[in-house]
Amino acid sequence: MLDGLVITRRFDTPAWLSALVFLAGIAAGLAMATALLVAIGVPASALFDEVIGEAFMTASGLAQTLTFATPLICVGLSAAVALRLRFWNIGIEGQLWLGALGATAVALGDFGPEATRLPLMLLAAALAGAAWIALPLVLKLRLGVNEVITTLLLGSIAFLFAQHLLFGAWRDPATGFPISLAFDASERLAALGFGRTHLGLPIALAAALLVWFLVDVTRLGFYGRAVGENIEAARAAGVPVIAVTCAFVLLSGALSGLAGGLIVAGTEHRMSLTLGAGYTFSGIVIAFLGRFRPLATVVVAVIIGGVFTASDVFKVFYGISEAVVVLLQGLVLFGVLVAQFFGAYRISRANWGTTP
Amino acid sequence: MTETAIAHPAGDGRPVSPSAGAPAGTPPALELAGVHKAFDGKPALIDAGFTLRRGEVHALVGENGAGKSTLMNVATGVYAADAGRELVDGELVRIRGPVDAAAAGLGMVHQHFRLVPRFTVAENVRLALGRRAGSPAAAAALVAAKAEEIGFPVRPDARVADLSVAERQRAEILKVLLLGARVLILDEPTAVLTEQESDALLAFTARLAAQGGSVVLITHKLREVAARADRVTVMRQGRTVLDGAPIASVTPAEVARLAVGATVAPVARPRRAPGGPALTVEGLSHRREDGGVTLDGLTLALREGEVLGLAGVGGNGQSELVACLAGLATPRAGSVALAGRDVTMASPAARRDLGLRVVPADRFAFGLVRGFTVADNLALAALRRGRYGSPLGVARRRIRRDAEAAIRDHEIHGATPGRSTGLLSGGNAQKVLLARELDDAVRVLVAHSPTRGLDVRAAQAVQAAIAAAAERGVACLLISEDLEELMALSARIAVINRGRIVGEMPVEEASAAALGALMVGHA
Amino acid sequence: MSGFLVGWLAAIPAYAAPLLLAALGLILSERAGVLNLSAEGVMAIGAMTGAAVVLSGIAPTLGILAGVAAGAGLSLVFAIVVVVFRGDQTLAGLTTVAVGIGLAGVLGRDFVQKPFPGIERFGADAAPASNAFERFFLQQDPLVLVALALVVAVWWFLERTRAGLQLRAVGEDPGTADVAGVDVQLVRIAAVVAAGALCGLSGAYLSVAASHVWVEGMIAGRGWIAVALVIFARWDARRALLGALIFGAAEALGPRLQAVGAPVPTYLMMMLPYALTLAVLVLSSLVGRRGTDEPAALGSIYLRQDKS
Repeated sequence: MLDGLVITRRFDTPAWLSALVFLAGIAAGLAMATALLVAIGVPASALFDEVIGEAFMTASGLAQTLTFATPLICVGLSAAVALRLRFWNIGIEGQLWLGALGATAVALGDFGPEATRLPLMLLAAALAGAAWIALPLVLKLRLGVNEVITTLLLGSIAFLFAQHLLFGAWRDPATGFPISLAFDASERLAALGFGRTHLGLPIALAAALLVWFLVDVTRLGFYGRAVGENIEAARAAGVPVIAVTCAFVLLSGALSGLAGGLIVAGTEHRMSLTLGAGYTFSGIVIAFLGRFRPLATVVVAVIIGGVFTASDVFKVFYGISEAVVVLLQGLVLFGVLVAQFFGAYRISRANWGTTP
Repeated sequence: MTETAIAHPAGDGRPVSPSAGAPAGTPPALELAGVHKAFDGKPALIDAGFTLRRGEVHALVGENGAGKSTLMNVATGVYAADAGRELVDGELVRIRGPVDAAAAGLGMVHQHFRLVPRFTVAENVRLALGRRAGSPAAAAALVAAKAEEIGFPVRPDARVADLSVAERQRAEILKVLLLGARVLILDEPTAVLTEQESDALLAFTARLAAQGGSVVLITHKLREVAARADRVTVMRQGRTVLDGAPIASVTPAEVARLAVGATVAPVARPRRAPGGPALTVEGLSHRREDGGVTLDGLTLALREGEVLGLAGVGGNGQSELVACLAGLATPRAGSVALAGRDVTMASPAARRDLGLRVVPADRFAFGLVRGFTVADNLALAALRRGRYGSPLGVARRRIRRDAEAAIRDHEIHGATPGRSTGLLSGGNAQKVLLARELDDAVRVLVAHSPTRGLDVRAAQAVQAAIAAAAERGVACLLISEDLEELMALSARIAVINRGRIVGEMPVEEASAAALGALMVGHA
Repeated sequence: MSGFLVGWLAAIPAYAAPLLLAALGLILSERAGVLNLSAEGVMAIGAMTGAAVVLSGIAPTLGILAGVAAGAGLSLVFAIVVVVFRGDQTLAGLTTVAVGIGLAGVLGRDFVQKPFPGIERFGADAAPASNAFERFFLQQDPLVLVALALVVAVWWFLERTRAGLQLRAVGEDPGTADVAGVDVQLVRIAAVVAAGALCGLSGAYLSVAASHVWVEGMIAGRGWIAVALVIFARWDARRALLGALIFGAAEALGPRLQAVGAPVPTYLMMMLPYALTLAVLVLSSLVGRRGTDEPAALGSIYLRQDKS
């Protein structure tokens, strides 16, 4: 196929071209998504009003967007940190479930004095998330088992474990619903006084700053780039590859776990079975669109948070499934994947034999 | 190279050029003219031309990167040229891919054989021939018959992965001939062969030409091939600089001058008296993951200020030895010691701390990080020694200053501290690696084929750097397939064969013949 | 006890068939060198399309075919992204899952939770079973037989036909296949589309044959199990049948135990397929089989003009 075209890999893509194709890809993805939404009955004018207007320009919408963005920042950072080492963390949701379970366990068990309850909950969340990625990490380092599959499998196992608890020991005895008892006031993150935003937002922003410091300033970050680009060369140059890999991957798991902790302690105030779905793909999309840079990840997470807000509106007014969020992210990513081809390769016509 | 005319070996009964080949008036079997080809804007071929007569063996000579393989890849449609003309038997052809090439009777045996390793020889032939091969049984019969006809023993039901390199090459040639090739293009065919195997191959090409076929031998080793060729074409930097001269009309020295463009002075062998033991390897054994033995009780000792050459046909355990020495592979038995300290199980980092430095055969495999800037690659190893700040912060400005100095001192052309290393030419990337590895703390240097793929000037700079290091007291293990290079630099030369040292001699007693016999011996 | 056993055994094929169908598809794609994580999304679109067509009053058989076509269509997009535009196969696979689930949810909003007459089991109109064999057989449906036939067909195609040889060559060594005149891009696209058709069939089986209703999220991770199953089967159609039966048996056990009133930790039981796959991954790498069966060019991007 396509024998008339010659495709050659570019040795180097100029920055302007790479930025151009990236933006073109996003634009193409958004255009596809718009066309689709219009086709199923959302007026084009409403699209702009709901997404830009409602999600970012009104106080209540913006508050909602920032509330959604809080865990999204964490999972975006989680994916970005792992992908910097070419480690595919497809188990973000699993670590998030474990984080939520860890925080809930501390809250329901009333561990420690009330004053340290919240820090302990978030610590438990981060540790549980890190623990849940430890097995894929060890299997990859010791046996070379592909992490795509192992993180994925453990993600499913984590969700089943959450169901096991919520349909069993943690089930709300009053209603019989698969939700835990509500947390006490000392187990809830303080509201910021702006919609439903809570202390989790500054915590997530602090996490982004910490990750930025680690990957862009410290020696660990320098080593991480080397391990991600060429692990054998890094090892031969004396880089402690195992330690660097463990640090990055466990941090990735901890950030996903923290996202789970922030959701239960900040937004839901109890454990439920609906709080964790879809975060794996969102995390990867955010990391990818943020080019794996911690601070850009924050910006993209807020934008995706806006899409979540808009989706609530679509659902109420047009009866559109919340699957529209994942669809939209998928279409944008498809757009970028295709567009990047034009940055990475040079395409020309084969003219062999046509020149004298 | 020395100034002697090429001697045609007596006894093979081949006529000497220019009487070889088809009679005048017959159109050339293959003619290329005015070929241009660029990769991402970098010209690889500039107005290149080539003419192959019927019934001749034609050597296509040039340095690595001169464009020889690129030109033949254009001829067979692997690459599409940007401009140019191609004629087969006098007819203008347009070859857009391998299928067109086969139809035109052009067959190329690439350096990387076009055989699926997990398939049998017969399955590979069936894949290549398509409908013409018929059933699996018919394909196997075709292979057996052709093997008989050309006098190559090739088992149709053998898995390619289980064959030796020479056997794979035979299978590949057989496949190309079954596809109907009348022009056989062999890309560096002897690079991977022992001397005896090379002789057998070259005798075969002579037979093929005598029967009216045409053979192109792409090589950068003029001497061993030219003796069997009728004419020679020389390429340099993408251009044809000598177009089909009868081999008797040129001397190897002339050809070398044309190929290189300028002659370079040979590097002087370091003369320093060796000091104390620097690297001691005792009974080192290693196996691949699939159980194949790669190192089999290898023992060698290297002293300070000494260059020990390690000769051998590629694939006899050299890569595994380098990996075991660098700490990237774990030996099954034996020991490695640096200056008397056992490091058999030590990490690469601990070995670096003891002064071990490694230049691998593929500099981007475990040498350099392709996507890193030159400065970052230069700094990577020194970070842990604290030269570039504390763990909490990297001293970027110092990295940059050091890189500027290294680029100046090592004459790394085309490099700036901020430039991506992957954009450098092979020679200059190698200089970056050497600049990093030959730092102040180096005690032992392990260099595996450090000049492979470099142009002559870059190769000479690399050799000079190794010689200078030895003069400073660095112990150097130089692993190479290039006997000239080994004899120019080493004080002693050991030979590796099937994972063992099968012989060792002072350079004064070494000769290509003696080393060659050890390299191919099946002891 | 024997009643329980027959009931359990009879339930296995309906659990195994969708896993098997999807895994057979993924084997085709991965033997051609395209890492395929898209099953969960492709199955979702297949399930939704099948249900939507049947709910529009069209015959269930055509509903199944529509699911096949929808799966093939979505996979064609995936194929073009990874083969023509050389997108990262892991990322593009995940994206296809997202788009498949998203499209199914958005386009299928009118079909949620509406029961419909689908493909029936053999025993639907028959008299009650008189013996254990009949009890087993009457619990099956025509698509289970189709799945079994497809195991043979896929194995035969890959191992015995010239097209299969070409497909395997593309997955092992695309450069060599190209030189041999095989259109690498075309073979890969065809293999991925075939994989999509089989995943679409698998999804349609779930809605049209197994449950006669469609709800969002009804694939419930079966696509991921199929991805794991391919590794479990080491890219061999015959071993995929074995693996699907084991996974199906694990999946079927929980509901059967519940049905007879045994107190079982349902959700822990449902972890079995995942835990088994993890165990197989660990074991196969421990005994050093890793990499020996995986197609050599799996996940790689092929470009003829690559300067070697």
